[in-house]
Amino acid sequence: MSADQELARDLGFLEAYTIGLGTMIGAGIFVLPSIAAEQAGPASMVSFFFGGMISLLAALSLSELATGMPKAGGSYYYVNRALGPFFGSIVGWGMWAGLTFASAFYMIGFGQYLLPLLSRYVDFFGTLDGLGITVAALVMATLLTGVNYYGVKETGGLQNVIVLSLVGLILAFLTIGLLSEPSMGEFNRFGWPAVAATVGTVYVTFIGFEVIATSAEEIKNPSRNLPLAMIASVVTPTLMYVGVMYVSTGTLSIDALANSDIPVADVAEETFAPLSGAVSGLPFVSVGPATLGTFGSVLMIVGAVLATVSSANASILSAARVNFAMGRDRILVNWLNEVHDRFRTPYRSITATGVITLVLIAVGVGIDTLAEVASFMYLVTYALVHVGVVVLRRADPEDYEPSFRIPGVLYPVVPALGLLSCLGVLVQMSVLWTPMDLPVGTLPVTPTAVGVIGTIIVSFGVVWYGLYARDRAPSQSLVGEALAPEPTTVADGEGRYRVVVPVANPRTERDLLRIAAASAHAHEDENAEVIAVNVIEVPQQTSLSQDLEFEEERVERQQELLDEAREIAADLDIGLRTRAIAGRSAGSVILDVIEEENADHVLLGWEGTRSRRDHVLGSTIDPVVGRAPCDATLVKLGSEGARGEGDIMALAGRGPHAPVAARRGAELVDAAGEDASLTLFYVQEPDDDGDEDPQAAGEAVVSDVAERAGIEYMDYETRVEVAEDIEATILEAAAAYDTVCVGATRSGPVSQAVFGSLPETVGEETDRTVVMARGPEESTMSVREAIARRLQV
Amino acid sequence: MSADFLARALVPVASPADARATAAALESYLDRDSTVVAIHVVEKAGGAPDKASVEQRELDAEAAFDAFEERLGDGAGVERDLRYGTDVVATIVGGGHDHDASAIVFTPRGGSRWVQLLTGDVTRRLVEESDLPVVVLPDVEEES
Repeated sequence: MSADQELARDLGFLEAYTIGLGTMIGAGIFVLPSIAAEQAGPASMVSFFFGGMISLLAALSLSELATGMPKAGGSYYYVNRALGPFFGSIVGWGMWAGLTFASAFYMIGFGQYLLPLLSRYVDFFGTLDGLGITVAALVMATLLTGVNYYGVKETGGLQNVIVLSLVGLILAFLTIGLLSEPSMGEFNRFGWPAVAATVGTVYVTFIGFEVIATSAEEIKNPSRNLPLAMIASVVTPTLMYVGVMYVSTGTLSIDALANSDIPVADVAEETFAPLSGAVSGLPFVSVGPATLGTFGSVLMIVGAVLATVSSANASILSAARVNFAMGRDRILVNWLNEVHDRFRTPYRSITATGVITLVLIAVGVGIDTLAEVASFMYLVTYALVHVGVVVLRRADPEDYEPSFRIPGVLYPVVPALGLLSCLGVLVQMSVLWTPMDLPVGTLPVTPTAVGVIGTIIVSFGVVWYGLYARDRAPSQSLVGEALAPEPTTVADGEGRYRVVVPVANPRTERDLLRIAAASAHAHEDENAEVIAVNVIEVPQQTSLSQDLEFEEERVERQQELLDEAREIAADLDIGLRTRAIAGRSAGSVILDVIEEENADHVLLGWEGTRSRRDHVLGSTIDPVVGRAPCDATLVKLGSEGARGEGDIMALAGRGPHAPVAARRGAELVDAAGEDASLTLFYVQEPDDDGDEDPQAAGEAVVSDVAERAGIEYMDYETRVEVAEDIEATILEAAAAYDTVCVGATRSGPVSQAVFGSLPETVGEETDRTVVMARGPEESTMSVREAIARRLQV
Repeated sequence: MSADFLARALVPVASPADARATAAALESYLDRDSTVVAIHVVEKAGGAPDKASVEQRELDAEAAFDAFEERLGDGAGVERDLRYGTDVVATIVGGGHDHDASAIVFTPRGGSRWVQLLTGDVTRRLVEESDLPVVVLPDVEEES
């Protein structure tokens, strides 16, 4: 199976890199130079540089998260996992909105480039202007939605070719542009605040690496390829953008750039033209500057058309993954995520994204606003991703094992700096620093359109959480653990609560695991774990290789048994490890396991009959219960449906193990939920002198047991009977309960009984489920004692 | 002696609905000695991003297997095989060889020419490209 699953990963470094890079350079590089130049002049290259740096920080944090939990859904998944469904809802909706705004942005960029290309050859298109752009954008968006709805096959090869030729194209643009000696005017004519606000606008281009994270589950060798692809696909376009801005602002005037719908093509027209001199030196070639300029321009237009389409396509597919992940966490209706019967695509999710994109194009929000809203949503997302990486590191849940970690010296710095820079840009793009007059008073700042739309979308996430997700999504925030981590638990394996369960019988396996799980559940805050062990006993006189066929059969049975245990554990939602061992005697192997695992509790099943001849309860039970240094529990299963559930009676008493029995009973009640009840039962011998009320004395014993067991907080019933014959009274009372918990009445290894005669008689006589419990051995063994015990087994 | 094509049938199930329809068509032909291997292929784009998350389609595949088993009942002893591949037909045929299947058995899923063009006509390609026997079962009316 695992080898097969490897086949599910078919994105290598190159593919992951081109997917990210394709989305990153896609629309941005062709459309943004005009918007950025208008806002910040030549200094906008600084905006691109900072946008790239902010993304690099986010890529580092996201790489750690994505290698730690390579799941579909990207940033949304990690934020939801780390910070819970409240922030999950904000980020989920935010990412979805961001991706639809970005798709609309790419599509309008597509229209802006396509129209001039068409109108070069067909005059009619030239007359359409703005309307033509919108129509082209709508048509292409519909087409892309259709392609993804119907699952029309794309090949990875094509993707690589398109993206790599785009890179070649841009490098050619840069080289030729630099050769034409660009000269720019005043570098920073609009001031630094404008540069900072422009970071927000151009950030849309850097959301592309998120596509890599949302596909984390499909990447080969993710621990290496994922961070590498993310970092490379951030660094490459950052350098390209800075270069493109340098060439563009150095070639055309700011006004010409700002008014151009096709800035890169216009720049190419200028820079390619002078090359005619060089080219015409070659034989058989004769091109005028105008032709060459046009050639450069058309080349850029074709590139832009391909790029915008591939970006929008990746965004639509990414959105479907975010929807799926939200549905998986029950933050969103799963109806949206149905896979089409025939096309095998999440058609509803794709349609929804497509329709919203079309609406955004049609409404005519303006291409810069589309870009800014997309940036806004992703800045919110990455701010929370930075928080998430800190929370996950501190809480360190079991399923979080990042193979890429932010390097030691950079660790608290990267997320902290990342968070601050995201918030800084958010603020800068959301408000203008001028007071605004409202009917009710004066606001110290004026919110921008982006600020308003972004806040509305975030508020929508909050309201959605309150009205829908809160009641459905499991609350799983790790913030608590992060604030007060238990440092030793997972790191060294010490201090973790472990329950060892030897399993041998497929019929009783499920109930034993369930009862063990109840005990583990009560120690959840100690990272509890259940370990199922099965031992193949090899008699002394046979060697392990003897009688191979027979052994194979037994190994197969052992595997089946443990496979079954894993399935049960998955059913019951408990953390389980299995150990398959062959050994001379099951008892000594189990004792070894208890020691190795540093177990806190061992739980065995018992058939309910005393053993013949030289054992008391059984050849395995005797040594394990007699010598295990931890809590030991022996379970005799009663009739179906009354196995450690329903009405549970725990026998109170003065002995040291009575509270352990009460605790086991309480654990079972806790795990079984509302249908279960706990009764503490005590049989008081009548006091012949009559100077003490036996009922009151019995109640005192019960409350003392409850206190020692630490279960005073629970609802339990106290039941005291006054009788001479303790055993008979207990057996009679037991008939009214489903499960009886009884503590050991003796300690120390030398005796005819393992738990004591009372518990064992109860276990034998009643047909109820009987849980016999004892606490850890009181005294620590000396080495000699330990060796002696080992030899006895 | 005639060959028993259903001795070990490899049955592609594409979706829960397809699985139910196929099970309904298959049911009456199975006898006690038949074994059935249900196979589902998660189609990969091989380098481009997939249309849907792998996990999402794995869940859907489980649902299809469940529907198939439920329709056939416990007695049938259905084996499951979940595979991944860029070419659904080649992956199914490969699975047939791995499982030593006597035949690949399925019900055609209909659909217009247009739909088949878009989704890559698996029915026709299975019939044409398989080097294992292919048994096409008539689609019986599914009682509701």
